Amino acid sequence: MKSIVYNMGYFLKEAKTLFKIDLTSNILSILSIGLIFFILALVISGWDIMSFIVETVEREAEINVYYKEGLSDTEISKLLEDIRSVEGVGDVKIVDEEESYLRMKDILGDEAHILELFEENPFSPFIEVQINIAESDVILSKLKQVENIEYIRDNKRVLDRLNDIVSVIEFVGILVVVAVGISTLMVVSHIIRQGIYNNRDQINTLKLLGAPQPFIDFPFILEGFFLTLIGGLIASILLFVLLNYGYGQVELAIPFIPLPAADSLIRSIVTFTLVTSAILGIIGSLLGVAKQGEGFRG
Amino acid sequence: MIEAKNVSLVYENGTVALRDVNLHIEPGEIVYITGPSGSGKTSFLKLLMGIEYPTTGRLKVMKQTMSKINASNIRRLRQNIGPVFQEFKLIRGRTALENVMLGMRFLGFPPKKMHEYAVEALKNVGLEHKISSLVDNLSWGESQRVAIARAIARRPSLIIADEPTGNLDIDNAMNIMDLLVSFRDQNTTVIITTHATHLIEGREEGTFIRIDNGNLSIERKGEALV
Repeated sequence: MKSIVYNMGYFLKEAKTLFKIDLTSNILSILSIGLIFFILALVISGWDIMSFIVETVEREAEINVYYKEGLSDTEISKLLEDIRSVEGVGDVKIVDEEESYLRMKDILGDEAHILELFEENPFSPFIEVQINIAESDVILSKLKQVENIEYIRDNKRVLDRLNDIVSVIEFVGILVVVAVGISTLMVVSHIIRQGIYNNRDQINTLKLLGAPQPFIDFPFILEGFFLTLIGGLIASILLFVLLNYGYGQVELAIPFIPLPAADSLIRSIVTFTLVTSAILGIIGSLLGVAKQGEGFRG
Repeated sequence: MIEAKNVSLVYENGTVALRDVNLHIEPGEIVYITGPSGSGKTSFLKLLMGIEYPTTGRLKVMKQTMSKINASNIRRLRQNIGPVFQEFKLIRGRTALENVMLGMRFLGFPPKKMHEYAVEALKNVGLEHKISSLVDNLSWGESQRVAIARAIARRPSLIIADEPTGNLDIDNAMNIMDLLVSFRDQNTTVIITTHATHLIEGREEGTFIRIDNGNLSIERKGEALV
């Protein structure tokens, strides 16, 4: 340990020399590792965003119950009571025409002026019913039997579709994580083995001088660590630019889509990418030095 | 320091490098090994460094039985040896100072001490003006002296020098020989192989080993010897 601390400057210098000896291959490796990690970061971001959307939609699970026109206040009150009595139903409240209009105005934001095209308020009053999403099928079938209900709008189909998309992204994500892991390990261990081959005379000399194996291996491990870390950094920069641009575009085009906060999403994905790249770099290098075999030892 | 009993070395292709070697070398002894090319000089040094193992017999180097030695003990043994290789084995792309320090980096010397010993060793071999020169730019003789500086800087118990004077002119060769021999004053055992017998002819102390066709003949001179 003392020897590693004393020689850290030497190890870093050696790692730099190893990098320079095979400069073109190392630069190409960094670029390919960067692209591999960029794909990983994209998939993980997509996974994160979709999970967030589904969670948000599920958390705010509610159905809109439209009742027949011309109901008296007493009939409406009775309808509210009937709905409340269904098991799994939470808050129940009436949203009148005016509130419906204001809500849509909020959602449309800058585009709200299109509502001015209507001479009269085009929205109908409805009853907003919060439900337990897990019991939505049972609740819906019970509500259909309640008197004076004309139409129920639920977002179950949307949720089901979103869940399907998340499952696909999860599956693809796992495949990408495995693929990234294997390809990074292969690229790094190959580069390290190449470095060991190129430096076989130096390694042999160190062995004849009695250098311990970790002392010989350490610069190669550092080289692999920096290769993947720089690759991870490139992926992080690309992701940062793309997510910032993408968020801007999504917020303009579909402002009502609930997205996780860009800052925290980028921070967590960048941290994940850098930590993963560093770990894979070290493991890849260890595989590379382990594969040099006993030929150089002793 | 070194004890050989009936040691033989036969390579896989059947070549007999050493036959029935019996030898005892004490700490602080100076040993000159001469013989024609291919006589077995380098093979003997390889046995001492654990690069080859005896085919038969028992060889002990610094209390380690070489036929039974494991990888970690070989490393420890080599850390106590200052080798000067025939082909120098310097690391290209590094300076003379870096090469000398490289031999000490894993021996636990604090950085300051390591630097001090390396500079001192380079001064001893007359290369203080080449400390920052890349070894790629050094002459044959200068490279040889860097290799010697690397061996002596690490303060070894045993210096093994394989043809350390190589093609140096007679004055420089004598200087290098005297420098290596001077380390016996620090109780360091010095083993030097050379084909240039004129470099050792006038020397009055030491163990003189002649190897011919794998057979050793030993002559001891001087009071300090066993």
